Amino acid sequence: MSALRASGRWIRADLRARRGQALLTVLAVAGIVTALITSATLLEDNTNPWRGLFTQTDGAHVWISAQGPLDPAPLAALSGVTGVAGPYRSAPVTLTENGRRTPVALRGLPAAPPEVAHPVVLEGRWLDLADLDGVVVERSFAQAAGLRLGSPFQVTALNGTRHMLAVAGIAETAEQGFYPEWTPGLAWVLPETLDRIEPAIGRSQSVIGLRLADAEATRLVVQGAVTLLDERIQRIYTWREVRASMELDNRLLGLLLALFGAVGLAAAALAIVNAVGARVLTQSRDFATLKSLGLTRRQITGMLLVEHGSLGLLGVAAGLLCGQLVTGLALNGGAGPPLSFVPAAAITTGTALVVLVAVWLPAWRGGRTPPIPATPAAPPRGHLSRLARLAFVVRLPPALVLGARDAFTRRVPAMLTTFGVAIPMMMITIGLGCWATLDNFLAHPEQVGQAAALQVGPGRLPSSEAERLINADPDVAAVYPGTEVDALEPEQTRTVLARAVGTSARPYPFVVVEGRPYADRGEAVAGQGLLDLLDLKIGDRVRVTVGGTPLILRIVGRVVEPDQDGEVISFGLDSLAAKDAMPPEFYSLVLRPGVDPEAARARLLAASNQDLEVRRVVNPAERLAVIRVVIVALSVVLALIGLANLLTASAVGLRDHALDLAVLKAMGLTPRQVTATLVTGTGVLVVIGVVAGTLAGASMAGGLIDLQGYTSGVGAGIGRTPSALTLAVVMLLAVGAALLVALIPARRAARARVPVTAR
Amino acid sequence: MSAVIRTVNLVKIYQSGGVPVTAVDGVDLHVGAGEFVAVMGPSGSGKSTLVHMLGGLDARTSGEIWLDGKRVDTLSESAWALLRRDKVGFVFQFFNLVANMTVADNVELPALLSGATPKQARERREYLLDALGLTERAEAPPAQLAGGEQQRVALARALANEPSLLLADEPTGNLDSRNTRDVLRLLGEVHKKGQTIIMVTHDARVASLADRVVSLLDGQIVDDGVIPVTRRRPKAGAGDVVELRS
Ligand SMILES: Nc1ncnc2c1ncn2[C@@H]1O[C@H](COP(=O)(O)OP(=O)(O)O)[C@@H](O)[C@H]1O
Ligand SMILES: [Mg+2]
Repeated sequence: MSALRASGRWIRADLRARRGQALLTVLAVAGIVTALITSATLLEDNTNPWRGLFTQTDGAHVWISAQGPLDPAPLAALSGVTGVAGPYRSAPVTLTENGRRTPVALRGLPAAPPEVAHPVVLEGRWLDLADLDGVVVERSFAQAAGLRLGSPFQVTALNGTRHMLAVAGIAETAEQGFYPEWTPGLAWVLPETLDRIEPAIGRSQSVIGLRLADAEATRLVVQGAVTLLDERIQRIYTWREVRASMELDNRLLGLLLALFGAVGLAAAALAIVNAVGARVLTQSRDFATLKSLGLTRRQITGMLLVEHGSLGLLGVAAGLLCGQLVTGLALNGGAGPPLSFVPAAAITTGTALVVLVAVWLPAWRGGRTPPIPATPAAPPRGHLSRLARLAFVVRLPPALVLGARDAFTRRVPAMLTTFGVAIPMMMITIGLGCWATLDNFLAHPEQVGQAAALQVGPGRLPSSEAERLINADPDVAAVYPGTEVDALEPEQTRTVLARAVGTSARPYPFVVVEGRPYADRGEAVAGQGLLDLLDLKIGDRVRVTVGGTPLILRIVGRVVEPDQDGEVISFGLDSLAAKDAMPPEFYSLVLRPGVDPEAARARLLAASNQDLEVRRVVNPAERLAVIRVVIVALSVVLALIGLANLLTASAVGLRDHALDLAVLKAMGLTPRQVTATLVTGTGVLVVIGVVAGTLAGASMAGGLIDLQGYTSGVGAGIGRTPSALTLAVVMLLAVGAALLVALIPARRAARARVPVTAR
Repeated sequence: MSAVIRTVNLVKIYQSGGVPVTAVDGVDLHVGAGEFVAVMGPSGSGKSTLVHMLGGLDARTSGEIWLDGKRVDTLSESAWALLRRDKVGFVFQFFNLVANMTVADNVELPALLSGATPKQARERREYLLDALGLTERAEAPPAQLAGGEQQRVALARALANEPSLLLADEPTGNLDSRNTRDVLRLLGEVHKKGQTIIMVTHDARVASLADRVVSLLDGQIVDDGVIPVTRRRPKAGAGDVVELRS
């Protein structure tokens, strides 16, 4: 108890004497914990809204679209099926809104919500027989299209008739992924309304959802359904694809944050060991005094542990709060609950443990300070090395030589400082690599497989007319007709996107990373995701079913594929049966370099009198824009950690030299030279750390991003290293800032009156 | 006269780079209650080592140390620390004060350590600083005090808990003559009140204040005697002593 009071006094006094450093520790730890909490929240399954939605809506596990009317009885009789949603009629229409035309799937549902897969109304109300013009819109689509309750909802059916509906409700569902990752957008109307808009049964599909007893048993059910429906199947998918489409961006971000958080935690631990170690070294005399007063070894260790540990724990607590706040803000789009207890507790105890261990090591050393105050911890003495003597002989500035020598007198702290600067620098470089990759996505979409900036659908025009209009536009450099179809993969358990675009003679300019482009009928290229999904290699043959027709394709290359998790297979239109290939569903337009796609789009729309459907291709970097915010935030945290290390290093340097200053001055060094000596001491380590960190980061960035690309299905080949200029500027900035930070205390020390005391 | 501190064949051997250095070589010392002993000797003769061992700052190699009739050389480091809180006060040549803490906090520390309430510690501190004429500097950091002031604060702190034994290792070694006089005056005063003191010094004039001078050479006691009557002290005597409480 008595020792507690005394320790309390000491801790208070010490914290007051180094407020800045204390704050830095808290901020660094808080930043890291925030990153970890956020990343865990993003990575955790239950932030994926799918689970909640599926439970809320009593969702169906398998969804099948088929041509024409559908008899649900045989499907319901398949073993394992416990419930059926539908069949519902679904018609493709176009939503026209402010001149924008968006494809929509209009689905007829009854006024009484079904038992299985009933959408959950968020705003407004469900469909009502009293309001035949009411439409309920899926939430993500409503958000993207800017639709609110009461908004007009003007649709154009395939036959060209226009109908004026109004948004009566906004609802969520687990039957398909979010817009725009999942297209077309979804809207529900009463069957009566649908009959009015699209009377032709032949132009619509039947959609049926099957709820299973066992979520893992989808394969057998799907195979059964394929056997039953065979050629009539248009699209088939399970809850796995829906879930995956909902989590795509979160995962990428989560992984990035986790990587930064974990490495940052190591860096923070290093910074803490460093800072506390240096502090203990500086205070060894005080500890000796305290011991001579009667503080025991354990009490001193405990005191240090409490002081520095509580700073760290404060940081953990602050980070926990920040993490909740950040995830709350980031996920306010209706995504599930915040981080559940177990991972939050794991992160909290984990970081707290790391912090305490990092503090304990130097605290333990502090406790072992001999109690004799007259023997301060003097820096190890060494001879001037031969190199240093040589440097003097060739008349290098003495400050440089002395400083450089000082840098290494304490080996372990020197190493800790170097690493402490190098690790944050490495992570910042990797962050810059991500940044450069995103920039490259935007600047060169053709390098990520998006050579075409616009996609034009003929709309109501015949394809010959559409082609004429497109070819007349002066800004169009190349046109590739194409059709996207759903292809049943060989085991027939799900469909993948098959993209027929260009022809064998004139293939679409994909970015082929391995192998070669398709050049003949029956040849195809695929994204990494598809190769992984079907366990294929380049050179393999694969049998898919398109519109009931089997199609045997030989994979000749792997392309960078930003769409659909890379689960896309692409080939020439001529590989498709004529009935599926003609007329082309869309035209991919490669514009002349430097042309603004928006301007070209407006002109095409004007030229066609709004009859063409012109869509800008969404660059994946636009979806990933939030990553830039994350990179900046993490870089700030990492820079703080680097700064903490730097302050530590310069404090140790000053302490080691406080008593040398008189000697140096007596030897004839000017105050400026003394300052330079001190700054060089830390500067040398900083330069080594910065250069090493940047090189390590630059060499890892491309590989890491490619790894990320590989796991996300896009495929390796997208990673970019920041430009040499960027790297040089960042290195200069880092070194410059570091020297500036080291300069202030060094100047003060050099100017100060030197106490002439014996050691 | 009961012994406050007693050593039996006390030996300290340092291992310095594999070479044994005998710093203290079989010292038998007996200091009675209320005695003021000066330890003299050339530099490197083992004075500091001896005093550090007496206060438990350094472990002895062999021999015995008895403090207030209890054997203490066998104590562990932390047991020594607990003992020091109540029984031993230290003053060194340098670095007696915790640099980060104010003068007031420095003086309150020992009281807090021995279990006083913050209020008691504050009262004791106010009394001591007042006696030293340093009340105005209470909130200053030690670095702002002159050397003599620092040593007086250190002395006040060492005496805060009325220890059985005050150990001082060249307390005036770093001071000019005026400050030396101030510190010595204070020492003489507390000695008069019955404080047992062992003080290391290499200054004969400083030593002359003591009742008894022990001379060390190469770690051994070569001379141990009461100061002859013909010392210079009487002349300085009474006028030098200043009331602690002025
Ligand atoms: N920590 C130590 N390690 C090795 N030798 C030491 C150590 N401390 C003191 N010595 C040696 O012990 C002898 C006595 O030192 P010390 O007690 O400091 O002498 P004094 O205080 O009389 O000048 C000296 O020879 C000194 O070099
Ligand atoms: Mg000495």
